[in-house]
Amino acid sequence: MSKPTLRPGSDEEWEALLQQLRQVPPTQPRPFFYTRVRARLAAQESAARSSWPGRLRRPAYVALLGLLGLAMSGDGVVLPPAAPHPASPANRPLAH
Amino acid sequence: MACSLPLSITSESPAPGATTSVVSADDELLAQLRQGSELAFRTLVTRYQDRIYRTAFSLLRSAEEAEDVAQEVFVEVYQTVGQFRGAAALSTWLYRLATSRALQHLRRRSAKKRFAYFTSLLGFDNRLLHDPPDHAHPHALLESQQGLHLLLAHIGRLPSQQQVAFTLRYEQELSYEEIAAVLDTTTAAVESLLFRARQTLRRHLQSPARHV
Repeated sequence: MSKPTLRPGSDEEWEALLQQLRQVPPTQPRPFFYTRVRARLAAQESAARSSWPGRLRRPAYVALLGLLGLAMSGDGVVLPPAAPHPASPANRPLAH
Repeated sequence: MACSLPLSITSESPAPGATTSVVSADDELLAQLRQGSELAFRTLVTRYQDRIYRTAFSLLRSAEEAEDVAQEVFVEVYQTVGQFRGAAALSTWLYRLATSRALQHLRRRSAKKRFAYFTSLLGFDNRLLHDPPDHAHPHALLESQQGLHLLLAHIGRLPSQQQVAFTLRYEQELSYEEIAAVLDTTTAAVESLLFRARQTLRRHLQSPARHV
């Protein structure tokens, strides 16, 4: 005797299929899930802390960058204004 | 940090009659989390890891990706719990994070699949990367395992909202109200989503010519 066709066209078959779905053995994460979550958090926090390039965290590079910035920041701070040249015609006293 | 509250560690789903006490326990847990309690975070993870993992697994059908999503959810909770206003229940927030993250993974996966299919068409890769059509005889549905396999495959092809609603209802066994809270919609909308999902699935499963 052949089995009745098991198509979920009928309500009974559809319900049976849904019942099967509910009875699928529940899955679980692998053991030590919490440890892995903590490790991921620690890794993210560490990555966030080291988001600046390593060189910028070294004092020598910071000092060098500071000096470079100072040197390029303006001409009036480090060097005195140029003195007028005495030989220049504009600087000669007028003959009366 | 010291934790004064008795934070029971259990990952089992609550009994139906214990909803009020669960909400109250979650409120206490939330308060402790906001204070930065490590014990509260451990309790949260232990209490919800199975449900969050199963939800992700139901949508992704991949243990590796489900683990990834579950980890992302708890990391996000830890980092943003201070911004959580408590407008929804803690469990609702967790389910919402899990489903949205899982859907993100699904979108990424299908984008990768489309790209791989495209490159295989162009001959950059000799492997056959698209799903081969399943020419199973209609009577294969007589095999219950195959029927379930087909059902799962078709659930994965539902529109995302229907997929989430169907999964939360029939695999996680959430109530219509809980699903509505997770999807941030009304109970009537959830009923409609589930009705359409059932119609689509039954139609596809009845159809003799299937391509899974």
